[in-house]
Amino acid sequence: MYSQELIKGTLKTIVLSLLSEHDRMYGYEITQHVKEKTSGEIQLTEGALYPTLHKLEAEGLLTTEKVSIGKRVRKYYRLTENGNKQANDRVNEFRRFTETMNNLLNNFNPNPKLSWLN
Amino acid sequence: MAELSEAQVELVSAYIKQNGVAQDELHDDLLDHVCTSMENRMQQGESFEEAFQYTLSLFGPGGLKQVQNETFELLTEMNATMKKVTFGFGLTSTFLLLAGTIFKLMHWPGANIMFMMGAVILALIYLPLILRHKLKESPNNEALLHLSGFVGLAFTTVGSLFKIMHWPGASVLLMVGMGTLAFIYVPIYFYKRYQTSANKPITLSASLVAMTCLILVFALMRVNNSKNYDFGLTLIDAQLRTSVENTSNNNLLYSQLENESKAGEIRNAASNAINQLLLTRATIIASVDNISMKEASKLKLSDVRNSSDFKTPTDILFNATDGESVSIQSLVDELNAFKEVAVGTYSPNLQQQVEATFPFNTNATFTKDGEQIAWAEYSFYKVPVIGVLSNLSKLESEIRQAENQALIYLISRPEASNPPS
Repeated sequence: MYSQELIKGTLKTIVLSLLSEHDRMYGYEITQHVKEKTSGEIQLTEGALYPTLHKLEAEGLLTTEKVSIGKRVRKYYRLTENGNKQANDRVNEFRRFTETMNNLLNNFNPNPKLSWLN
Repeated sequence: MAELSEAQVELVSAYIKQNGVAQDELHDDLLDHVCTSMENRMQQGESFEEAFQYTLSLFGPGGLKQVQNETFELLTEMNATMKKVTFGFGLTSTFLLLAGTIFKLMHWPGANIMFMMGAVILALIYLPLILRHKLKESPNNEALLHLSGFVGLAFTTVGSLFKIMHWPGASVLLMVGMGTLAFIYVPIYFYKRYQTSANKPITLSASLVAMTCLILVFALMRVNNSKNYDFGLTLIDAQLRTSVENTSNNNLLYSQLENESKAGEIRNAASNAINQLLLTRATIIASVDNISMKEASKLKLSDVRNSSDFKTPTDILFNATDGESVSIQSLVDELNAFKEVAVGTYSPNLQQQVEATFPFNTNATFTKDGEQIAWAEYSFYKVPVIGVLSNLSKLESEIRQAENQALIYLISRPEASNPPS
């Protein structure tokens, strides 16, 4: 399981990329999807997604559709045009970031020889 | 798929609202989320209660409320420009207030304008910006906390400015500001902290300490901080008045100058000037302490109750209407009339020197905070009662001195031994 700190910075990217795969999704669905896809490696506390969803909606990247299910309302989230563009940008940026990090960490030596000891 | 009944959905909805999720959109999201999760659990054979407990436990220690708080935080996050602007105003006002303090201490010009701008930026721009942000980011039930904090700080800042500038109403502003902080903001703040804190006794004692400190500051402010200064002035005034009594005993000198018309002129001019001084003194005391002129004329400076009032003397002296007997103009006129007579006593070759060394000069100008101000303003404008009264006593003493010297000159001058026939 990854640290919350790592997840926090990538939450927007995760949501945007998931929504670009699917036409529309509701909150619970997104949570479950993240859990399944990452086999539990990325575990969001329940509800941790909603702040991000609302923020993205406020920024105009997502729209909502309300469908009532009996006594309650289900809100489906969908990417806007701008959101689509942002999703691409973000995913690409993140890919480049992981590549850079890979290059950076490739030479990582878990057992450094401490030259000053000799 | 098991579906929750309408009553069960109502129950969950009520729970969510009760746990502080006030925002409708978020409430809808969470309701659907919790219900769907519960339906899945119940599908696997759990009871309504079990599924409910389990789902809620997934929300972690902060619970539903935490979700709302994080949403608020994200939605109201200041954007970068906003942050910079707010920070800029905060920094500017702090800098101006600090520089103003240093300039004031060093008696450099411009201290007041710095103070004024610093306080205005702080109270009218920076604090409202912060308030707006705070109100937006926090739930409604915290509005009173932020509002009282804002009112308290803004009034305290403006009150301090008024106090420094000697503008009227400073004490009222400071009282309102510090009162709001001590009796509304701090109690609410610590009550909220107490509610959510893990170690209640420590929070409680911390809040009591904070309250006590604020109330102490409040109390100290009411005790006038310049008591020593005032006491010094009272002492000087008492000495001056004693010296006036001694020098006023010029009868012996006058008796030697019975045939001298000049002596009569001096006597008249001196008593006119002194009467004007005493009238001014009594009028001010009567007005600030709200007593009769007769009582006021006998009152010693140490017995004047409202001796730090700086508004009334200025009103009486500088805002007098035409024809009123007490005004700065009539005071200056009487003083100058006396001076003219006193200087005129001396032989022409001495007059210039006597005038240069005369105890008072109403045409003098003074530098205060880098500005040139006239003698009258310097001595009386926005000067507290205690200062005005001791200045009047000083003038009285100086008139008696000058009178005394002039009389001695008259007696001892060369012509006196050979009076012109």
